[in-house]
Amino acid sequence: MIKRLTWSVIILVLLIAICLIPRDKPQIKHHQRYTKIAQSGEVLLPWQGPWACVLDNQNEVLWEVKTDNESIHDGYWTYSWFDGQHGKSNFGDCYFEPNRCDTQDLIRRTNKQGLCGLSNWRLPSATELNSLVQAPNSPSQPFIANDYFIHIKRGDYWSSEHGIKLPSQYRSHGMGATAVNFHFGKRYILPYRNAAFVMLVADIPTTNKHPQLSRRATIKQH
Amino acid sequence: MDRQTFIIFHILAIVVVIGSMLTGLRIAMVSQDWLSPVSVLLPQGQMHVWHLGFGVAITLIIACYLLHSFTSPFRSIQSKYHKIINYLGYTSLPLISISGWLIWSDMLTDTARTVHQIAIWMMGCYLVLHSWIYIIQNGRRVLSVLLPKRVSFRHYGIATGILVASLSSVFLIKNTTHQLKVLTIDNTTFIEIDGKGDEKAWNEATPISIMTIGGANFHQGSTEVTVKALANKYESYFLISWQDATKSTNHLPLLKTNTGWKVKENGFYNFDERTFYEDKFAVMLSEGCDIAGDKTLHLGDKPIKNKPKNWHGKGYHASLDGKTRDLWHWKAVRTNDMYLADDNFIGPPAAHLSGKRRYTAGYQPDGKESGAYVMNWQWYTPNGVIPKRLPAQLSQIQSAHNSVLPWFGSAPYDASQDHYPNGTLLSSVLYRSNRFEGDRADVRARGEWKNGRWTLELVRKHNTQSQYDVALKTGTCMWVSAFDHSQIAHTRHIQAIKLRYSL
Repeated sequence: MIKRLTWSVIILVLLIAICLIPRDKPQIKHHQRYTKIAQSGEVLLPWQGPWACVLDNQNEVLWEVKTDNESIHDGYWTYSWFDGQHGKSNFGDCYFEPNRCDTQDLIRRTNKQGLCGLSNWRLPSATELNSLVQAPNSPSQPFIANDYFIHIKRGDYWSSEHGIKLPSQYRSHGMGATAVNFHFGKRYILPYRNAAFVMLVADIPTTNKHPQLSRRATIKQH
Repeated sequence: MDRQTFIIFHILAIVVVIGSMLTGLRIAMVSQDWLSPVSVLLPQGQMHVWHLGFGVAITLIIACYLLHSFTSPFRSIQSKYHKIINYLGYTSLPLISISGWLIWSDMLTDTARTVHQIAIWMMGCYLVLHSWIYIIQNGRRVLSVLLPKRVSFRHYGIATGILVASLSSVFLIKNTTHQLKVLTIDNTTFIEIDGKGDEKAWNEATPISIMTIGGANFHQGSTEVTVKALANKYESYFLISWQDATKSTNHLPLLKTNTGWKVKENGFYNFDERTFYEDKFAVMLSEGCDIAGDKTLHLGDKPIKNKPKNWHGKGYHASLDGKTRDLWHWKAVRTNDMYLADDNFIGPPAAHLSGKRRYTAGYQPDGKESGAYVMNWQWYTPNGVIPKRLPAQLSQIQSAHNSVLPWFGSAPYDASQDHYPNGTLLSSVLYRSNRFEGDRADVRARGEWKNGRWTLELVRKHNTQSQYDVALKTGTCMWVSAFDHSQIAHTRHIQAIKLRYSL
């Protein structure tokens, strides 16, 4: 009887212990390709924020992250394609320029700001931009990883590829530039004068391919 | 009854009672946090249909046992202690069964739920005091008493009969529904979606009342929901009212403190806020009518294989059969001033996005072309936030934390302009535009709170042609849930409300 009582107590204690063991919380899963980068250049964990850039391990570039704060990075601003020589200046809509906006304005302002510690921001190549296209996870979301690329509209985004003959419906405008449309996940050639969105990209300096990556393990979740 | 027959009944009862308790505890855990330590011992997934199955089996075992006992009672030699303890079992088992059926049939649901829970704990005590004491007294010899020595065809017949009868009964009753007659109105009859329900046509509609249970903050966790329905050639109208003693619009307000702005919360970090939240109401529509949400309810902290854990341990909504269920989600702050309910759906579990801390499985919004509410923080942490925008005028702020902060009546946050004193409350909800556009805006809705009661009017086209909506027609099944300033802890009911159109 004593033995059975002892075993009963042991089983009961074990059951209570199992119940009281702290349960694992949902685990952070790192993205295979993208990493959030803060305005200061600090590497963030997937559930941290706010972030100003995304490190793209596939293309080894940083992408500008759009905002809704009416800054130069606001996702609602549109730009005509212009590189200072070719294209059409000041045909987009934004609040931060005295005149209207073009792609050169955003590049100039972003480099001056030193977004994420870099000042070599540029328009992405069509290949770079197109590599972001992926099927959305939810209805009516843009064709992009919208957990990293926030405030992306279902519209056209300019690439640097230009001097291309326009399709017949735009032929009267002469040449144009390639844009990637994140509503359909397809490339189009558009007239320079079109007001399209922009997501800038910056090459990571070879001396610092992964900014502050060594700090990754020390950052807390919040 | 001979000893071997008794042993067969005894074994069946052990299996069924334990199964019923395990599934029942998992269901109870949705609304009773104090049970969460035993979560690790409980099964996960679609528990209601299993619980119903065990409930049916218990009832059949009781009935068969009583039938046998009346014709040839089983005589056993027991100690006085066990004779007394057995009365606990004799009392609790019928109580569990009767209260369970009352909950299933939505009769006296709130009282029956309390009785059901008390009876379960009585049964738990009985199991310990009965079986444990036998084991202490007799050790391994219990097994020789517990297991049958010879099994006849009659015994197999009893066991198989109860199993087959249970499965057949579950199959027959799992689709049992309440019926809601939808009154036909003329196409010219005007129904204003204003949350008043004062049009003459509503007086002529036949109401149905369902007691919904298991929600947070309501009195005893329950509230009775009354539903009326009208339909013209193109649209269906619903007038829904439920008791809620308080109008709650204090939705995650931002509080200015010594260290900056903080979100006032009580559970929001785990996506289970129960204090600083708006009142809400949800309507689910499905072509199927299986009890407890037509197979969309998956209980537990990781109920779906290869999908992440949830933060609150309660479960997920998702449809694993690939069919879409429609979900209208009216929110007293976020959508009421849009005169809309958020048109959502429950579909297959979505892929897990590594950049998002919250995973909602199959529960997702329909698509929208534009328009949205957004939260008024740049990034949420429980330690503090920076607001996205501040009101354009200081005078707006004190009265506005209970409502929406308009985008164009506010300016982007600027630390140099943040002179608000400690204790200031700021709205957490911003409207980027005054309504959704597109698929997500299919359901027009307006709720009004008066004298301890919400009244909600909803209208939607019978068929929106959207792949994320369910058509409103005869046979469409509906479930309703009320939220009393809680994020996910809503009330619920077992049987669906089946719509009956006369068009």
